[in-house]
Amino acid sequence: MKDHALKPFLKYIGRKFFFLLITYFIAITIVFILPRAIPGNPLSTLLRQIFQQGQANPELIRSVHKTLMEEFGLGKPWYQQYTDFILRAFRGDLGTSISSYPKKTLDLIVPVIPWTLMLLIPSIITAWIIGNTLGAVAGFKRGSFTDKFTLNFSLIVSQVPYYWLGMLLIFTLSVKLHIFPGQGGYSQGTIPTFTLKFILDMLYHYILPFLSIVISALGGWAIGTRVLVIYELDADYVSFGELLGLREKTVFRYIFRNSILPQVTGLALSLGGALGGALITEIIFNYPGTGYLLFRALSTLDYPLIQGIFIILIGSIYLANFLVDFVYALIDPRIRLGQSEGS
Amino acid sequence: MWLTMFKPLFKSRKFIVSISIFIFIVLLGIVGPILYPVDPTGYAGPFERPPSREFPLGTDTYGGDLLAKVLNGTKTSLYIGFLTAVISMSIGIIIGPISAIKGGIVDEILMAFTNIVLTIPNILLAILIATYLRIRSAEVIAFLLGILGWPWFARAIRAQILSLINREYVKLSRMAGYSDLRLAFEDLIPGIATYTFMSFILFMNGGILGEAGLSLIGLGPTKGVSLGLVLQWAVLMEAVRRGIWWWFVPPGIIIVALTSSLLIITTAMDEVFNPRLREK
Repeated sequence: MKDHALKPFLKYIGRKFFFLLITYFIAITIVFILPRAIPGNPLSTLLRQIFQQGQANPELIRSVHKTLMEEFGLGKPWYQQYTDFILRAFRGDLGTSISSYPKKTLDLIVPVIPWTLMLLIPSIITAWIIGNTLGAVAGFKRGSFTDKFTLNFSLIVSQVPYYWLGMLLIFTLSVKLHIFPGQGGYSQGTIPTFTLKFILDMLYHYILPFLSIVISALGGWAIGTRVLVIYELDADYVSFGELLGLREKTVFRYIFRNSILPQVTGLALSLGGALGGALITEIIFNYPGTGYLLFRALSTLDYPLIQGIFIILIGSIYLANFLVDFVYALIDPRIRLGQSEGS
Repeated sequence: MWLTMFKPLFKSRKFIVSISIFIFIVLLGIVGPILYPVDPTGYAGPFERPPSREFPLGTDTYGGDLLAKVLNGTKTSLYIGFLTAVISMSIGIIIGPISAIKGGIVDEILMAFTNIVLTIPNILLAILIATYLRIRSAEVIAFLLGILGWPWFARAIRAQILSLINREYVKLSRMAGYSDLRLAFEDLIPGIATYTFMSFILFMNGGILGEAGLSLIGLGPTKGVSLGLVLQWAVLMEAVRRGIWWWFVPPGIIIVALTSSLLIITTAMDEVFNPRLREK
């Protein structure tokens, strides 16, 4: 990249980064306000419950109670609670878990994150590529049988929730046909190691949850790209290219490149929803990721753990958003050259 | 005017098929519980029976009649979807036009707010808020999903109004001294009516799928039955791995049929009303 092109690029990236930082700050603030603002203060209910169970193991209960009081800073004025909360969040201290006391919530979350990333990232990228290609071909051959079939197939598939497709896949391919294992991230009784045997076992368990996300996610991309390609068909450069006698394949490539751009930003915006879907898919598959941990935290009302998971997830999404914006700026010459801010 | 506007729709086979499916499911949800008056929360009979003449969709682990649950669940899910759409739409239809008509600092502030809500992943935030609510009625769920879903719509409406606002007839109205409110209702809103209607449908889909998602994670309505709750219990009771297909297949089919028929209705409308997509 030449020097004169660098400045608008940096400006664009800087603005995006600043916006995300603010949004992240707001998200943390929401996490802070919620338990304190909702009537019937769930935290104090929890504390009372802990006290009532105090007979069982007074020693432990008292220390849980003390940690909770300290971490939530109840009793201190709200602005002090707030600054404490923000400072600790930025230091990476997300509090102490109640259900797995005295473990730090971060220590519980860090080991499960790779599982979720491993499930989510390859599957949404695969879905994005397949879906966009399908949609582009359909739009390019609009009105043909391929187009109609792809459109109707995509319309229905895009409405199948990941987790329900997961249930169907478990039922057919695992319970009835015994082809794939229907739960877990690896065979029960094995310990995660870096051996070929374990990795193969892991991949074997990976196929069904992966497929359920890929299949349900590709429909939406196909529908979107099809419309974008149809719009693009009217563009002057297409008629010009055809007049020049360019091969159909070449024209298709031009159209494809132009219409795929908005879908890059779309990928960033869809991440939140995709993550939500993947979390539930993990629950269905008993997959050892963040969704499963969240489910456990929810059933034990482990508020610090729930908050921690939320902060980490939302942070990861913002980071991913930023990466997508970065890639977008690299591939769109209009942003690279500072002619347009993009949308 | 309405007749000539909607007539071409009924020439679209896609539209007719999808609206028939949608109406059929709505009837299932509204008339179904009346024609099949079995208590969906009661204990009807034997446990985990496959579909039979006595229990057309079988029973669950507690002997609950699944047909009754699915029919009543359809009603709740439709209700949640509808309410979600009403809430999202109301917010978007206020913020989008105000932003576009007022412009300037009002526009800046409203759009900054919209973009922030847009980037906060709404299903995650819904999960977080729902965690702190010990009692969650169907209305609370719809409210949660509704107040988080509107930003893309507000942005689109703002963009559409901005493109309408520079047309001749709007300028004439401005010169004639119409108030902003009158301008919005008489000149601008009719121009965005189809888009708004289509968005309403998409919001409904969001509500229906959102309820199912929240329920599966254990944060659905705390009383009553919904399609999501039927699925949640099927998962909790390991129905999938124990091969009790009649428990989780029907509610899923209803969800998919409902949301995809609604989506196909919007694409059919788009093909009819949007000249660029119209078949040549």
